This record gives sequence, C-alpha cells and structure tokens, in this order.
Amino acid sequence: QLVSALHNLTRHVVYHGLTKAEDILSLFPESFHQNLKNLLTKIILENISAWRNEAQASQISLPRLVDMDWRVDIKTSSDSIIRMAVPTCLLQLKIQEDAALCGNNPVVSALTVELSKETLDTMLEGLGRIRDQLSAVANK
Amino acid sequence: VSLQQFSALTEVLFRFLTEPKEVERFLAQLSDFATMNKISLGPLKNIVKSILLVPNGALKRNLSSEQVKADFIALGLSEEKASYFAEQWKVNSPTLTRLAVGQTLMINQLIDMEWKFGVTAGSSELEKVGSIFLQLKLVIKKGSQLENVYVELTLPQFYSFLHEMERVKTSLESFS
Repeated sequence: QLVSALHNLTRHVVYHGLTKAEDILSLFPESFHQNLKNLLTKIILENISAWRNEAQASQISLPRLVDMDWRVDIKTSSDSIIRMAVPTCLLQLKIQEDAALCGNNPVVSALTVELSKETLDTMLEGLGRIRDQLSAVANK
Repeated sequence: VSLQQFSALTEVLFRFLTEPKEVERFLAQLSDFATMNKISLGPLKNIVKSILLVPNGALKRNLSSEQVKADFIALGLSEEKASYFAEQWKVNSPTLTRLAVGQTLMINQLIDMEWKFGVTAGSSELEKVGSIFLQLKLVIKKGSQLENVYVELTLPQFYSFLHEMERVKTSLESFS
C-alpha cells in the first residue's frame, strides 16, 4: 500500500510537471510528519528531471532512428553496360521499433537503402527545406 | 531501300530505343512504314531485329560512333546510310547510356521521401511536453514492390543526418 501510494505521488508530480517544493508539499495531508514530508519532497525534486526524461524517451512513437552509416561505391560494370564508373551511395539506417511495445528488449532492425546521385540531390533539397521550415518556426 | 526511307526507318528505331516501353507505338510505326513503302511487314521485322542488334551491342561496349559506322559497313550497308546511322547514334547515345545505367541493379532503391514535423503536446505520462519531432516516410523499392518505411527523428538527429548526407554528396561529386 505504501509503495503504491508513493508511486501515485511521483506519477502525479511528473505528470503535472511540478517543480517547486511548495507545490509538492501542498500535496501531503495536514497531519503528515513534517521531517518525512521534507525528505520525500527533497528526493522527488532531485529525481524529477530524470523521471521526466525517461517518460519522454519511452513515449509511444513511430519507430525511431538510432544510428546511421553510409558508404559510397563506384559501379564499374553490369549486365547492361560492360564498362562504366557510376558512383552510388549505400545508406544504412538502424531503426528501433516503438519502445513502449518492446518493453525491455527493443527490436533494432537495419535498413539498407541505395541512392543514386540524383536521388541524393533531391533528398538534400527536401532536407534543406525541412531545415528552413524548422528555423522559421524557431524564430517565431 | 533509298536513303530517305532508311532515314525514316532509323528515326523510328531510335525513338523506340530511347523509349523502350513504347512497344506498341514502335510496332504501329513499323507497319505504317511497311505499307507506305510497299514492303511486307515480315521481312521488315527481321531486318529491324538484326539492325537493333548493332546499337544494343554498341551500348554494352560503349562504342564510339565511328566504330558503329564501321560495324554497319562490315555488315554490308552503304557508306551513306552507315554515316547517317552513326550520326543519329552520336546524338542519341547520352540518352541511351543513361537508360542502360538506369537499368542496372539497385538494392532497395529509395524512390521517394515525405516528411512532417510537429510538436508533442502531451502524453499519458506527462501532461505538458512541447518537444519537436520529425517524421520521415521513405518509399523503397524492394525487388518489384514498393515498401513504406516510417522513421521518427529528434532534432539533433535530424541535423546530424543532414550533415552526413552533405558529406555523401561531396563524396559522390568527387567521383563523377
């Protein structure tokens, strides 16, 4: 019962984003032991940002990017042309499925994608536009 | 076959080579040519088939237009007609080469990319959040099917992704 009560208290504090000692103190009933109240408040305040970050990290979300790697190859021949020198890019994205669904065993899958130079240029254009939109929003 | 007829036929051939999907149009134009010049379609088709072998082999081996011309003369075509064909070849070869390269094997080719970004307002754990997220949808060709991949990135991840992609572009450019 004690553990459950503590759990509810901490969840309430994290949910509402309470950061001031007075707010937390006011949650306790009048007859609560003074020193214990202060001690608990102090511990909660210390941990609160870590708890908030963890809650945010384990939010439901689409699969998340955890890592990426790339390499550039030169294609020298194929069954349609015997000699050529065409550069191409291989991009490997490590994607982690929704953390909330996997619990303690996150499933990370690796996706390898090939891009030609034209595709890369188009992609960079798109990424540039995203960056511009982001700075426009940030400057508002 | 007169030079005029030959040049008309060459035009039809090159149009087909540069747009290999337009098979019906090619066949229709061939039969028009046959009726206009009073040649029967069967032998015309055979001749066209053997003529087409030359550009296809030339493309594979990156032959110059002089070599294409020499090949045709060796096959018994007159000097005039061979020159005409070689000229057409020179004009069309960038397009044809690009088509051939485009047909080369690509693993999991990226076809398209869509994105949206927004702000996470709240969740069941945190009443007010206010963090920015970016969602990318990548359309990938796996074999002959298209597959959609959805990925979410945080802002710092997005900036380092952009940075890495710019490095890739520099690398690709130094090799072209």
